[in-house]
Amino acid sequence: MATPKAEKAAEKRPVRSWPLRLVRNALLWLVPVAFLWTVFTPVYNRFLLGSAQNLVRLTEYPSVTDLLRKDNHFAYIGRKDFPPTRALVNSFRVTDVHFHLLMVGVLFLSVPGVPWRRRLENLGWAVLITIFFDIFLIFFYVKATYAARLGTWSLAHYGAFARNFWGLGQHLLDLPFKFSLPFLLWVGFYYQDLTAAIRPKPAPARPAPSS
Amino acid sequence: MARKTPVSPNTSAPGDVPFWRRNRREIQFLILFVVLLGGGFTLISLNWVNDHVIEPFTGGIAKASGVVLGAIGQPVEREGTVLRNARFAVNIRNGCNGVEAMLIFLAAVLAFPASWKSRLTGLGLGILAIQLVNLIRVVALFLTGVYFPRIFDTSHTVIWQTIVILFGVMLWIFWANRFAAPAEPA
Repeated sequence: MATPKAEKAAEKRPVRSWPLRLVRNALLWLVPVAFLWTVFTPVYNRFLLGSAQNLVRLTEYPSVTDLLRKDNHFAYIGRKDFPPTRALVNSFRVTDVHFHLLMVGVLFLSVPGVPWRRRLENLGWAVLITIFFDIFLIFFYVKATYAARLGTWSLAHYGAFARNFWGLGQHLLDLPFKFSLPFLLWVGFYYQDLTAAIRPKPAPARPAPSS
Repeated sequence: MARKTPVSPNTSAPGDVPFWRRNRREIQFLILFVVLLGGGFTLISLNWVNDHVIEPFTGGIAKASGVVLGAIGQPVEREGTVLRNARFAVNIRNGCNGVEAMLIFLAAVLAFPASWKSRLTGLGLGILAIQLVNLIRVVALFLTGVYFPRIFDTSHTVIWQTIVILFGVMLWIFWANRFAAPAEPA
């Protein structure tokens, strides 16, 4: 039981609201998470290219697609069945695919009032889902390149529906869902914490009758 | 996505209640959010909408950025969505006009249970705030291109995209916490 004195002291202590603590934590986590993300980016890029290449090859026969690393950030899409001078059909910045991991890390580590064990468990699940998303995004990027960006070759090998399917799929995954994935995951894991933090506003006090 | 320690008090054991019923409000929000977001982005990917709404809007952002750059001693020429001076030129395209962050914010506000008054207030102020941050981003990126061209790519695709999206998310959390009506327990 708290003494009236302790209760009074607790009342006087400034209580930061849940969203303000979240913002403060996010600002504090931004730099460490960005540092980790920068360190792991070259390794992660290699892993993504290897996994996406395997996924693309599952959908083609014979296996002709190569995803070749250009440097720590860029990659080429190559086709073995094209003449050597035109074998590299497109290039893209792999690092741009997964910068949302930064947001995932910051958002999941910043939630106030949640035990560390649960925070890390949720972060682990969120990162796993994001990794699968990233592999699928590169897969769609390669397919959209084949379907819509290789001129007469694309027209000869892909119909109108396929071109629109891969093109729109890549557009939706690359812009709205890549940007909003961290938010979607965060809401999926912490919706109840957010709504629990919402308290009904107290009814406005009636003005004291003027004397 | 099952949790070991549910936050909301539950009278029945979690095992008795099916997952979709236990997380009905989350699932409702997420489905509505995805539908609104997908619909919004499909809408702006239509050529007519892009040519008649998005391009003029992006041109307006370029104009406002040009005014700000001029005011801080960096006069630029504007041509449509392109800003240039003697040292650098930048084309503001989809992804840099803040429309994505706006649509994410809009979908999140509309999908969350709240009164229409709260939603409209949140949308009005939120979209204004997002565009203000985006204006700072465009100006900062132009200055980065002029003075630190080597870090322009990273700054463009990683740093500022992260800042703008995180800002939108934080804004939504703030709105949901402060202005949205608390949902009745199921």
